[in-house]
Amino acid sequence: MRNIYLIAKREYLATVQSKAFIISLFMIPIFMLGSIFVPVLLKDNVDLTDKRYVILDGTGQLGEALIEAAEQRNEREVYNDDNKQIQPAYKLEIRDIILDGSNQQKLNLSDEVRSRELSGFVEIPAYVISEDSNAGSNQTGVRYYASNSSIDDFRWWLNHEINQQIRKHHLTNLGYEADDLSYIFRHHGVETMELVKADSDGIADEAQKVNELIAFGVPVGLMMLMFAMTMMGASPLMNSVMEEKSQNIVETLLCSATPFEFLFGKILGGVAISLTGSAFYMGGILFVMTNMGFMGYISLSIIPWFIFYQIFAIILVGTSMATIGAMCNDAKESQNFVFPALLPLMIPLFLITPVIREPMSQFAMVASLIPPFTPMLMMFRQNLIDGIPLWQPIAGVTGMILYSVFAVWLGSRIFRMTILTKGKTPSLLTVIKWGLRG
Amino acid sequence: MSSVEIQNVTKSFGSKKAVDDLSLSIPKGSLYGFIGPNGSGKTTTIRMILGIIRPESGSIRVFGQVNDSSLQKRIGYLPEERGLYKKMKVADIIRFLGQLKETPNLDDKIDYWLKRFELEDWKNKKVDMLSKGMSQKVQFICSVISDPELLILDEPFSGLDPVNLNLMQDVIIELQKKTGVTIIFSTHDMGVAEAMCDRIFMIYNGKKVLDGTLNEIQGQYGLNTLKIRLAGEERILSSEIHAKHEVRDLGNEQLIKLTETTDAHALIAEIAQIHSIERAEIIRPKLHDIFVDIAQPSQADTESIHPGENHA
Repeated sequence: MRNIYLIAKREYLATVQSKAFIISLFMIPIFMLGSIFVPVLLKDNVDLTDKRYVILDGTGQLGEALIEAAEQRNEREVYNDDNKQIQPAYKLEIRDIILDGSNQQKLNLSDEVRSRELSGFVEIPAYVISEDSNAGSNQTGVRYYASNSSIDDFRWWLNHEINQQIRKHHLTNLGYEADDLSYIFRHHGVETMELVKADSDGIADEAQKVNELIAFGVPVGLMMLMFAMTMMGASPLMNSVMEEKSQNIVETLLCSATPFEFLFGKILGGVAISLTGSAFYMGGILFVMTNMGFMGYISLSIIPWFIFYQIFAIILVGTSMATIGAMCNDAKESQNFVFPALLPLMIPLFLITPVIREPMSQFAMVASLIPPFTPMLMMFRQNLIDGIPLWQPIAGVTGMILYSVFAVWLGSRIFRMTILTKGKTPSLLTVIKWGLRG
Repeated sequence: MSSVEIQNVTKSFGSKKAVDDLSLSIPKGSLYGFIGPNGSGKTTTIRMILGIIRPESGSIRVFGQVNDSSLQKRIGYLPEERGLYKKMKVADIIRFLGQLKETPNLDDKIDYWLKRFELEDWKNKKVDMLSKGMSQKVQFICSVISDPELLILDEPFSGLDPVNLNLMQDVIIELQKKTGVTIIFSTHDMGVAEAMCDRIFMIYNGKKVLDGTLNEIQGQYGLNTLKIRLAGEERILSSEIHAKHEVRDLGNEQLIKLTETTDAHALIAEIAQIHSIERAEIIRPKLHDIFVDIAQPSQADTESIHPGENHA
């Protein structure tokens, strides 16, 4: 144990005292927050020149309504309260449809878009205002043509507005004055609420409104933090061992410590490094959330679980990384082995969507009980919803401990065989053989 | 009593036997030289003594026990391929390695050894600032800082300038005499092995080919050589000598390798009939010659590097 401690301590101090570590501590949140806030800050930084669109109106009625709706939108959204332009104005014009059986008109309009005279054009078939429910069932609906038609803002505006105008058209035909019936078009959002809890007297409390950003952001954020911190603690182990091997330090160490002590000491060093990073970021997150009044959305009881899961995540990934470092002579050789070693971190990320949709499903439960995925997925589920039965985290942790013991045992056998080997990197089959035979 | 007892040890890497049925006994307090060509099995043997790698068969006992991690702190080791953490300070790396061996009074010992090797001013400098010779001295200090009972030095003098080589030799002899430490060192310098070692062991293609004191080895294995200096510019030709002997011309002198049946005096008389002999001397074989005699026939075969053994 003493040697494991000394090796872990050296590994830890060598890393945390380096400039690279201190810089990375600050750079990771800058990059992560940057990727969130820069798009938000730049959202108003759009091209403010007028956007011209042509309407090929097969209905002969919706085009005018859309022009009017666009003008109302321009009055409402193009300028902010300070009279500063923040959005481009939409300028719509109607052109007659040329029915010559060819696509020539649309080609000409496309060329106008290409030459930037137009931003796009819209084709509205006549049947969209038909009162026959089956009309146009075999045809495509409204078509919008533009250079990036699938993602530009006009598409979303048109998608909403054209359906509003079609409903207004039908109401008018039924003899109603659509403008007097605006309540029909009013949008009602669905508010998400927490379950009602009883207070200390057993009386039902007022349900709390769920802050969706926080409710979703905290578990995902913690999962991403675990991913980043595991990478921070485990990933450098590969280069560190490779460096010790290539610089012939390892032979000196191995006459003072066993391969197991050497390997496990390095992994514990990695654990300490990542926990330092986590403490730094967790402290920062808790400080910010306390000051912003969001502490109610975080259950502090998850923190011990987070630490526990993170320790095992690093042991699992770190063992693989250090073993790869022992097997390979340089970074190029190690590339073949790195991807499988990172799967315990990558696969849980791939499984996020089904787990978010049904965190209590059998699939989510089984996936989170698979030892390599337990650290990230079980923590994610525990953080996402209340009511995960206690036996599940306990079973997950038990599996993780057993799997970690096996991984370190296997890793140290391979480590012993490969750490002093120079020359050709052994094949995966040979490595497995060494691991099993010792 | 033996510090190290190796019995019928075999170790292979793939199909290549790096060490083949080796038995060796290293007496306590001796200075034992390991010699052998590159790739002959020296480093593999050393690593097995250290417990870094395990033999396939046979046994190795160190201090009378089967070697395990509990013995590591009683053994000091200077590997042939030196390496230290470049970003660590000199005192810190010595302290770290000393702590791994549970060395008492570490700070005093660090000061003593740095002073002994004239490195006091470098105590708080990072390793990457040291010259190669200085790094080698620091690494040597790391191997002796724990006052080991068994010190294994793999090529301790390679890369040292003559001044530091003398200093290192003095320290090694001093250690042996003062502390009684058993020292194993491998070397390619036969002169050093002859001058320093109590006993010499030679391994070739994984097998022991020599083991004993220099006198024993010279007596058992070596054949005498006749060293002759002729008057003027005269030279002996092989064809002039009645019996078949290898003649090696060193310029001013010529060496004639004697066989077991050669009567040296008769040979001198034979040469004297043809040439004017200025001086004739029968010399015992040098370790260098014995080494070359053993290793030369298939030197090329020994150049391959075994897996797990970059240099043996």
